[in-house]
Amino acid sequence: MKNFKYFRPKNLDELLAIKNELKEEARLLAGGSNLLVYIKEGSLKSGTLVDIGSLAALKGIREKDGYLEIGAAETIIDIMASPVVSEKLPFLRESLRVFANPLIRNISTVAGNIAEGSPIADTAPLLLVLNSEVVAASITGRRNIPIDDFFISLGKTEIKANEVIITIRIPIPETGRGKFVKLGLRKGTSCSVVSVAVWLIANGRGVEDIRIALGGVAPLPLRAVKTEALFRGKILNEHNIGELALEVTNEITPITDVRGGAAYRSEVSAALLSKAVRECLGMEE
Amino acid sequence: MSEQYRIIGKRIGGLDEKDKVLGNVIFAEDYTLPGMLHARVFRSTRASALIKRLDLTRAKALDGVVCVLSAEDVPNNESVKNVVGQTTEVGLLEATNQVLARDRVRFYGEAIALVAAENLDIAEEALELIEIEYEDLPAIFDPLEARKPGAPKIHGDNNIISAWKIRKGDIEKGFAQADVIVEKSYRTPRQEHAHIEPESGVSWIDDMGVVNIRYAAQVIEHYRDVAAVLGLPDSRVRVIGTIIGGGFGGKEDITVEIFLGLLAWKSGRPVKLTYTREEMGFARHKRPPYYLHYKTGATKDGKLTAMEAKLVSDAGAYVYLSPWILIYSTVHATGPYFIPNVKVDANSVLTNNIMTSAFRGFGGMEVAFAYESQMDELARKLTMDPLEFRKKNFLKKGDETANFQTITSEALLPEAASKALAALGGKGKGSKHKKVGRGFACSWQSYGRMTYLHDTSNAWVNLEMDGSSVVRSGIPDLGGGQRESLRAIVAEILGLKLDEVHVISTDSQVTPPAGTVTATRALYMSGNAARLAAENVRKIILDQASAMVGVAPEKLKLKSKQVYLAENQAGPENQAKKLSLVEVIKSCAAQGKIPQSLATFKAPFTEPITTDLIRDPVFADFTFGAQAAEVEVDTETGEVKLLKYSTAYDIGQAINLNRVEGQMEGGAAQGIGFGLMEDYIEEEGIPLTWNLHEYLVPTSKDLPDIETVVLESRSGKGPFGAKGIGEPAITAAAPAVINAIRDAIGVRIYHVPATAERIFRALKGKREK
Amino acid sequence: MELYEVDLMVNNRAVSARIKAETTLLDFLRENNFIEVKRGCSKGDCGACTVIIDGRPVPSCMTLALQCPGKKIYTVKSLGSWDKLHPLQQAFVDHEAVQCGFCTPGMLMTAKAFLSDQPHPSREEIREAISGNLCRCTGYQKIVDAIESVGKGGEYE
Repeated sequence: MKNFKYFRPKNLDELLAIKNELKEEARLLAGGSNLLVYIKEGSLKSGTLVDIGSLAALKGIREKDGYLEIGAAETIIDIMASPVVSEKLPFLRESLRVFANPLIRNISTVAGNIAEGSPIADTAPLLLVLNSEVVAASITGRRNIPIDDFFISLGKTEIKANEVIITIRIPIPETGRGKFVKLGLRKGTSCSVVSVAVWLIANGRGVEDIRIALGGVAPLPLRAVKTEALFRGKILNEHNIGELALEVTNEITPITDVRGGAAYRSEVSAALLSKAVRECLGMEE
Repeated sequence: MSEQYRIIGKRIGGLDEKDKVLGNVIFAEDYTLPGMLHARVFRSTRASALIKRLDLTRAKALDGVVCVLSAEDVPNNESVKNVVGQTTEVGLLEATNQVLARDRVRFYGEAIALVAAENLDIAEEALELIEIEYEDLPAIFDPLEARKPGAPKIHGDNNIISAWKIRKGDIEKGFAQADVIVEKSYRTPRQEHAHIEPESGVSWIDDMGVVNIRYAAQVIEHYRDVAAVLGLPDSRVRVIGTIIGGGFGGKEDITVEIFLGLLAWKSGRPVKLTYTREEMGFARHKRPPYYLHYKTGATKDGKLTAMEAKLVSDAGAYVYLSPWILIYSTVHATGPYFIPNVKVDANSVLTNNIMTSAFRGFGGMEVAFAYESQMDELARKLTMDPLEFRKKNFLKKGDETANFQTITSEALLPEAASKALAALGGKGKGSKHKKVGRGFACSWQSYGRMTYLHDTSNAWVNLEMDGSSVVRSGIPDLGGGQRESLRAIVAEILGLKLDEVHVISTDSQVTPPAGTVTATRALYMSGNAARLAAENVRKIILDQASAMVGVAPEKLKLKSKQVYLAENQAGPENQAKKLSLVEVIKSCAAQGKIPQSLATFKAPFTEPITTDLIRDPVFADFTFGAQAAEVEVDTETGEVKLLKYSTAYDIGQAINLNRVEGQMEGGAAQGIGFGLMEDYIEEEGIPLTWNLHEYLVPTSKDLPDIETVVLESRSGKGPFGAKGIGEPAITAAAPAVINAIRDAIGVRIYHVPATAERIFRALKGKREK
Repeated sequence: MELYEVDLMVNNRAVSARIKAETTLLDFLRENNFIEVKRGCSKGDCGACTVIIDGRPVPSCMTLALQCPGKKIYTVKSLGSWDKLHPLQQAFVDHEAVQCGFCTPGMLMTAKAFLSDQPHPSREEIREAISGNLCRCTGYQKIVDAIESVGKGGEYE
């Protein structure tokens, strides 16, 4: 028999207190897209549904100290509509256009998207290439978790049972261009088969720095640091982009599931990486 | 077109659309009844197993549970499926269907027990209290393997549950005459209907002891199946259909109705049952997946000489309509082409997968994918324009099909194909990694049931005292405008406005039996029945008016509630000869001549097929058409984007032009889904893509604008010369898209859906060659 | 099992009930006779249950009823009446953008919210906007036509 409680904290202290008290049994609900599916399917039968959707402390999209700070309860649509985001990080707005569909974008949050530690969370590669930080809070204080340390294993993140994600911090890049490419099984809403994000700082076609992240090709969303190293310092052309991109297949460990085979995921990762790099360079048709 | 009609063929506006946009229409799940129980179904989590123990004790003991049923509670749990025309070569059909699994389950999701409780939460909790122990049995999931002698048997001692063949001419000689031969194997997916409305219904026992079931039914005649299970006379079960939120064949076979009947009968209380989306996946039939092997030969001047096809379909674990679907595949296997030498061998095979049965296209679209891929490749081999090549071989009126059936209506295939291609307009340019290509495909699909089934449809039409009309027909309304067509036909014939005609439909004890909304038969059959009844009523009126004014009835015309002299209607000398319809009706009534008629339309009847060899006509007629696509293929990832799309069919005569286009657009969309993304995947019998975020149907972003070209030969067997369009609209879509992909990248996809991964692999294979 | 009092504003009408914590807005609405909100999948995959909450189209199966006090919720019944259809409803009728009609209430709410934001969209923008609302009957052609015609009318809202 299902047995749920509902609690709407009035402020952050109340939220942190109940999270500290109930730990995993406190199920945070901002948009609710995943949680409500688990309840309907019966895989989740009890707990306290902690409604953070309208908690002022988790709202707000602002620029602060060179960072874009996004409250954990901000929806994808509000992030896309934010003038600050448009001005400071249009890459984020553009990339979120492929997130689920317009209805789901109206309720989903970035924090909710990454909180489950899913390898196909569409915002994960974005946050990775942007060197983002996840701000977690508990009754004992706050800590900033570099996104590189955030994902631990399949379905597991660095967030402790008594912690709550309160803010996503993204350093506003001074230079460079980004591109996010997602391969799904249809054009409308679909889970990613593979997704690739690239942030490229180039001088002409010369690579000063590059950050590459992928989703759907390992138990975690991951940075392809070896491939990045290969790209760094190279003068790029259509041909060597494709060759360099192949390196990424050595850094990933895709599996075969109903959405795609491991071999395809691997090979198409390199293709998507090439595409993303070319687009960053303005080479794509 | 359609100038001579006031209503027929125009964009006439829907009968229920206003209520639908207002949110006023009541669908099956919206009904509640006083004191109603809520039901759930306990289902197998094994694909092939013996049920060693089933213990309902704890579930029954749960507070709020009213009724828990297993196989032993079902009066007639088993029914032996005897498919008409089943061949003797594979023996009598031994498959037994069971309402609830008794000793053995044969697929994942098979129903084992039913629960009805005071509310849904309790019913769900009761499911968890049902205890079951299984002993796994050997299972088989591949129909090709399942055909082999040593394979585990699903029912009886033969997994092949139907075999059909066609033999025409001399196949060896035919291939010997060929200058080019294309021989390839193809596969098609297990497609899920994915109607947005779940299967749902309510049931109750009325004060006459009749079991009433109100549910989303494509086939209200299932009241007989419910009666058989309950051991009641047919007259004690009544099905009232609801407005249906999408069917496509998914609500054609048994879904909730028997469970609802059983639970109401056993509990004595009203019951509601709605399938979850999960159950819609696990519990309801799918389109049968096919393995197709085709060999087609042509001379160097482009004449087809021979075609050989071997078809194997996966029937799943129980026999529903897969043997019939296989007949369709066998008869349609040649495509709409005249081929002098034909050999077709087709099998449907039992496996431990989910059962397969009706889905729009019904055996016709699976073969269309193969025969149109073959035609495209033959044209390439001959370096001939694919349309010119097809034109040399299209079936024409008067030609004989491979099963020796003469085509008796127009076959406007050259027009349809040319116009579909022309509708694409100018061709887009590709780029380095994005290749643009075009393709088209032609197809044929029967409308109306197989003629050996001796199909009939009834309709009753009257005129009320004020001159308005009521139509009664059992036909369900799936949203295709089934009731609307009857209204338009009767209004046209009786000279009334649309809103002066009311249609009562889909009630097995109130409306005259009209048959199913399946097999693209609704307009053809029920439309003709309504036409006949309306013509009879018109005759009653005109005869009476004739007697009243002393003018022969042929010279009279009925329009706008007036009876006129047919010629010089406006002339002053004839004004005296004009009667109001109401006057005539009153006069009829005074003499006991009630303006009403119950009419029966009979399809052509043929003898049952008595051997596995199909050599006689099977269908009343066919609809012909073509679809064309322009695609862009990303050669780096294999992704396909549809750029342009068109569909052209000769529908004989439109009743409501908007509805014809709607069928063509929607059919194309479903066929595109089948070609590009839809696949109900099971692994070892366990469904993997049951929900709508794994089972992907086209969204608005996956489809381009769909151009429709409506041709009207007025040569069909339906009312006013109409042909059917519901199923034909889907058949040519997948091969059109696949042929376009072939044109774009030089590689053919033989296994639909053509996912990015399959295209990627095919491209890689080509590069490595 | 704990029950919670909830007061929601639906179509400008106050609706109160005692509900379970996990009651979705969809279940709440249907249990309170807003049966025009259709249940298609209960998992946010089909869009049939879309309602407008504070100006935005949302699948009501993906929101708890308890999250909605103080918000303005609108179903398709808020649009027009038999005597005066909303321009979008009229356009759906005129273009026969309706077949079975099951996706229609949700589709209309998405289109309504979308056109309020973007009164003169392109066809491509319309296809993006309704991509979370599945329709299995129409191939979307006449739906896009209908929405576009309202956008072109220039008189929207």
